[in-house]
Amino acid sequence: MSVTSPFVVEQLSNGLTVVIEVMPHVQSAACGFLARTGARDDPPELAGVSHFLEHMMFKGTALRTWEQVNVEFDEMGSYYNAYTSKDRTFYYGWVQTGDLQRQLELLADMMRSTLPQDQFDMEKNVVLEEIAMSRDDLGSVAYDYLHEQLYAGTPLAWPVLGWERTIKDMTREGMWEYFTRRYAPNNLILVVAGNVEPTDVLRMAQRACGDWPHVDSLGTDRRSPPFRTGVATQQVDRFRQQAVLLAFPSVGATDSLYETAEATAAILGGENSRFYWNIVQKGISPRAGAFHEEYQDFGMIVLFGLCEPENCEKLLDAMREEAARLAADGPQEKELRRVKNLRRTSLANESEAPFYRLGQLADDMDYRGRPRPAEDRLAAVDAVSAESVAEYLRRWPITGPGYLVSVGPRVWPA
Amino acid sequence: MRIDQRRLANGIDLAVLQIPGRPVANLEIRVFAGYAYEDERYLGVAHLVEETLSKGTARRDGRALNDAFDEIGATHASFTGRETLGFSSLCLPEFLPQTIALHGEMLSTPSFPDDACEVAVELALQSLSALQDDPSELTKKLIYAQAYGQPLGRHPLGERETLERTGREQIVAHWRRCFTPRRMQVAVAGAVDPTAVADQLEAAFSSLEASADSDEDEMCGLNIQFVPKYSHHEKELEQEQVALCFPGSSADDPDYYVQKVAIGILSGGMSGRLFTEVREKQGLVYWVGAWTDQPRVGGMVHVGASTTPENLDRTYETLIREVGRLADDLTQSELDRAIAGLVTRARTRGDVTRARAAEAVEDLFYYGRVIPTDEKLARISAVTIRDIRDYLAAHPRDRLSVVTLGPQKLANGRMA
Repeated sequence: MSVTSPFVVEQLSNGLTVVIEVMPHVQSAACGFLARTGARDDPPELAGVSHFLEHMMFKGTALRTWEQVNVEFDEMGSYYNAYTSKDRTFYYGWVQTGDLQRQLELLADMMRSTLPQDQFDMEKNVVLEEIAMSRDDLGSVAYDYLHEQLYAGTPLAWPVLGWERTIKDMTREGMWEYFTRRYAPNNLILVVAGNVEPTDVLRMAQRACGDWPHVDSLGTDRRSPPFRTGVATQQVDRFRQQAVLLAFPSVGATDSLYETAEATAAILGGENSRFYWNIVQKGISPRAGAFHEEYQDFGMIVLFGLCEPENCEKLLDAMREEAARLAADGPQEKELRRVKNLRRTSLANESEAPFYRLGQLADDMDYRGRPRPAEDRLAAVDAVSAESVAEYLRRWPITGPGYLVSVGPRVWPA
Repeated sequence: MRIDQRRLANGIDLAVLQIPGRPVANLEIRVFAGYAYEDERYLGVAHLVEETLSKGTARRDGRALNDAFDEIGATHASFTGRETLGFSSLCLPEFLPQTIALHGEMLSTPSFPDDACEVAVELALQSLSALQDDPSELTKKLIYAQAYGQPLGRHPLGERETLERTGREQIVAHWRRCFTPRRMQVAVAGAVDPTAVADQLEAAFSSLEASADSDEDEMCGLNIQFVPKYSHHEKELEQEQVALCFPGSSADDPDYYVQKVAIGILSGGMSGRLFTEVREKQGLVYWVGAWTDQPRVGGMVHVGASTTPENLDRTYETLIREVGRLADDLTQSELDRAIAGLVTRARTRGDVTRARAAEAVEDLFYYGRVIPTDEKLARISAVTIRDIRDYLAAHPRDRLSVVTLGPQKLANGRMA
């Protein structure tokens, strides 16, 4: 491991943060813009605006039509896309090193979209198709239903895609108002990784983004939602299987117990886990697991499974039993070693390609305000112990009622 | 990078990409034991073999085997393909010998415990039921079954009736027949020594039974029996799934690279024809795409989209129009973009060891040797508009196989 830091972090005078990771061993470069805004920042009457806006960012600028945007990405042969989550929107491109400047300038220009009205009207149909597609997927329906019920009355309740109603009613003016506030340079992070010279990148950034005006009021009002316990059932006859999800509150991404929370989810529901051997391999469910979902300020741990409708009771009992056993007996040594050993391999793999590093850099900058060297991340996971798991489960128990949702053909629990 | 290729004494084909300085090593194993080679009475058995191989060996039970991988931080994944079962492992370079040894143990001395076999059948039956909740995968199953003929048109999960008559005996039989050294192809990439890797593989797979004479014949590949037809499959869904396909080039045809570029023009990026015409100009879909499917022999061009029922006919007509007119008004800049996409993606992925090993094992499957990336890219870069026109003339699109899944039929399903 190198002793000099591969990272450069600078802030332009308008507040745009630029983070660069120098990777001398690679042939390619990747860059991206992280907008620190997502579905939880949508005004309720504009639910889905962050995601719809992500589509609109490809739709034309003062310099380029939508066709020119698409053509230019493809002329470089870029591997590019964008995604929107509950709390961020990320745009990226991965190119050969020599095309970095062109890629960066294109993405920067897109960040100043003019949101053309005719494209807004056309793209609305695409978003409505995307919503329809997500409703044919049992996993998506169940995930959205969990948030809708558990976080009812808060901005975490609506799907990232929004509701059909709010998308249909949305106007370009409403989106424009949101866009100008939330895409201020002081709410954006430019992330670059590759075999690059930082001073060159900073010059490119200054030229492409230096004249974007700083915005004083971003209109941020994020509040951690209260976590309730409860039960909710959504009957959807056209699905064959039943999705069962059981959620508990957990730590946020910057909490000192965050790695322990991730390890707990992996021990319960990852590869070679307790759920795999004691639920899947008992024939109760073809797909059962656990995941940790975290934001800067809060998180949750979700135990889930898809099963034949008649197996719901067995599945829920088995998930609760595994959670209770882990809480009572703690993790085995070999389970802790598994988490650490696999992390070593995944960190080595991540270090190979600029695109792999991009997402992690964005994550670290957004949640921690600084990039983290692999050594720090390895140290954090190495610090996970039987004691830290015990402490985590004491403070964030997974043995209570939790919030249970079930989606599928069966009305269960009645 | 150095490419080392050899056939081991026991018959295994091995390619080692020696890439200094890489922080990980990747192992890819393919065995000609996919679902096209199943006994037709026991469809689904290849997938059952894949699922049960990791449930125990002569030396240890399933948990201990999986724990042994975890102890060295080696990931291990597997899949059931049409012609091959695939096994893939990523590890730190110093653990490659153990990773190879563990794969040898798993693939050549599996114990197939009774309870694991029973559970695998039960889970496959449940997965068949889950398939009904996965419209895009279900559409794939329908189009393959309709367009490819047998045995290539099968689905990895098999059928309810065949699974119900399958158990440990059939699982063992499929493994015994197909897991011979001659039916195995292996690629390794990373900062590794080829001779050491070869020795480790020979030792790891020394207990496999010798290959049968029939192996060579079977590995020559199986033919597609193309069936042009339209069928609609009624299902309550928000969106209608549309899939169409027509015969394309084989991976060893001279125009295979021309086909790659043609697909790039249709569907390589957001400026591709399908995305532009179906999504950007008309707002008919969120998802639309074209791709090729390449068995060992033959090839098929696929086009697919999903859309709400009221947009179905317009979407279908646009797909047909775009596929049909490709030869008429192709521009040099479109061609250049399609080539740029293929070249850049190959170059950027060159940084990824795992991608290198995967490409090498794919080359072994199609060509029996690894083709250097530069050689492939030179052939892609040489493609001209004239080549694309010739390719399209040689692959007429007037006989299509078409499937729709959802609440509504096509008003005018074009077919044979």
